[in-house]
Amino acid sequence: MSLLLQNTARGCINALQANVSRINILVPKRDKYKVGVPRLRNPEWFVRKRRTVHDDFITADNKTFIKEVISDKFGPPSLIKGVQTYKTELPKDLSTQLQTAEWNQRYKRCGAIARKIGVVPLWRKDGKRILTTMLQIVDNQVVKYIPPEEYQPAKKLVIPPRKKYGCLIVGAESTDPSLLTKDYCGLFADSGVMPKRILTRFFISPQAYIPPGTPINVNHFSVGDIVDVRGKTINRGFQGVMKRHGFSGMPATHGVTKTHRRGGNIGAGGEKARVWPGTKMPGHMGNKPRQARGLTIWRINTKFNVLWVSGQGIPGGNNSVVYIYDTILPLHRRKTPPPFPTAALGSDESLPDNIWSDELHDFKDSTIFYKPE
Amino acid sequence: MNLTRRIACNPFILKSHGLSSAHFRLLTSKSDPLLEPALASSQHSTEARKPLAPPQYRFVYPEFLPDPNRVYRNPIREKLERMDMINRRTQIDIPEFYVGSILAVTSSDPHAAGKTSRFLGICIQRKFCGLRAEFVLRNYVDNQGVEITYQLYDPTIQKIDIIRLEKRLDSELLYLRDAYPEYSTFDLNMEPEILPEGSPVPLNKTMVKLKPRPWEQRWERKNFVGVSNILEIINEKMTKQMEDHKKPWEKYDLVMEYRKTIPEEEQQEIYAEVYSQLHELEIHRRKIKRSRSFIKPKKLG
Repeated sequence: MSLLLQNTARGCINALQANVSRINILVPKRDKYKVGVPRLRNPEWFVRKRRTVHDDFITADNKTFIKEVISDKFGPPSLIKGVQTYKTELPKDLSTQLQTAEWNQRYKRCGAIARKIGVVPLWRKDGKRILTTMLQIVDNQVVKYIPPEEYQPAKKLVIPPRKKYGCLIVGAESTDPSLLTKDYCGLFADSGVMPKRILTRFFISPQAYIPPGTPINVNHFSVGDIVDVRGKTINRGFQGVMKRHGFSGMPATHGVTKTHRRGGNIGAGGEKARVWPGTKMPGHMGNKPRQARGLTIWRINTKFNVLWVSGQGIPGGNNSVVYIYDTILPLHRRKTPPPFPTAALGSDESLPDNIWSDELHDFKDSTIFYKPE
Repeated sequence: MNLTRRIACNPFILKSHGLSSAHFRLLTSKSDPLLEPALASSQHSTEARKPLAPPQYRFVYPEFLPDPNRVYRNPIREKLERMDMINRRTQIDIPEFYVGSILAVTSSDPHAAGKTSRFLGICIQRKFCGLRAEFVLRNYVDNQGVEITYQLYDPTIQKIDIIRLEKRLDSELLYLRDAYPEYSTFDLNMEPEILPEGSPVPLNKTMVKLKPRPWEQRWERKNFVGVSNILEIINEKMTKQMEDHKKPWEKYDLVMEYRKTIPEEEQQEIYAEVYSQLHELEIHRRKIKRSRSFIKPKKLG
């Protein structure tokens, strides 16, 4: 009896299984869009940076021990060029690796990471006052180089670019590695550079290759150069039309009610009875990357790695991070060769502390007099 | 900066010792904590470490103190700015002066006849700090009020002469624009009045009479001490509005005071950095002054 039951049950199950295989729902395969492959791929150095630090179990002894380990591995903490960092020894063969190459106008050099530290006036020799922004290059070091063949952009371009640029990853501001994730610290493992707080990439010509570990100082640039500076503008949040686009608003009185700071009309009827794309309206303002192009370097301080750059409208607030590039403005391209690919190691020690433009009045010079005609 | 100076000039705060006593005032539960603890703390601090620069430096060289707003602070920028200021001071003697002092400034001017111009007037405002420090001089020339703003570290300034060194009752004298002309009229060829060395800066207690309205600003709302006839000029409505705009609690606002001032410890650090150079310049200046005032006696016969 039991055997018969078993047999019938088995038969049922077999039938069911057969049915299930027949019912199998077919998902249409989309060859056009590969499923599972993201369209935009983050660059390899976009990893989680900060670790969640639970200091409940760390004693004071532990903390000192961690500090000791860090200073054993990366060198003692010290103040270099006005920036708190660690005195890491550079690899011995770095200066031989850093070969000076023949400069060509077509080549693209590496840039630098700086902090905007303030706006101050300087005076020209003819007595005219100019406003300049001070940018401090903060503890820059090359971390990695990805040659053009290996570099994969976030989005593959349909038409491959004519000029092929390599990607140079540069870091700034050494920081305590115990606060960072293992992945992030791993980015620095090959080069032996201390983990950095700020990371960025510069697209360079392969000829402008700089070996990892090389510091980039202010003598990468010189007085009279013209640079572009990129930064993130100050975040102003959701703003109305008057602040965001400089509209003039509407009258305060004369019977005007409830429309003093509003934009007014945003379009016409008839054929174009819709809001046209790009209409200026309220919205989020600031916190966007912007470039200030064609800025002259007026003065350089080699002791603190500071550049005085023309203008007071450089994007970003005080103490914010900005990136300095050689200018791309066609009429301001440089004609004389710069230090290429970068200045030789230790070459800034022979330079004077302050390098002034010929047009500027050094504060040490005597008072400006005009010659009577 | 102006508020800073106003607070700094407040004798109450002068007596107490910067932040530390302010904290003490917050924490203490004594019935009359204002005087004794302040004195005690001051004695304690002087014992701990003596400040290198003299305490009056913050009034003599106010522009060496940075803007207290934290957004604009950066130690490297401030240091480099101070270096430039000192370098300029080696070229030109920038004397001690206050709002209310009478100055004469000689500067290079490409448009003036002889390429130099001289202007004499009363200092009605000092503002900003660091390299962008400036002051405003006011005078009446040919029955016309004239104001000139000078940059303190402008290399075209040839000479700054102190004609009369004194302070006034207010830290800003912008209301002289709406006062009768006699309060801001000075002879362009005034002779400098020399104070004996080491004497304190005199306080001029002149009370200014304002002209009837319209005014440039609502002066009645600014709590000026040196104006005598404000209540006679304004009408009933304005008086009522003036009462509404009063902020009597501000003098007890410790956080506001903290935000608008540089802490004393930081001030000492800043002045200690520049003290040796400033002191050298002072000695040099004194030597020149003496050599000018001393007339070599002639041989008789």
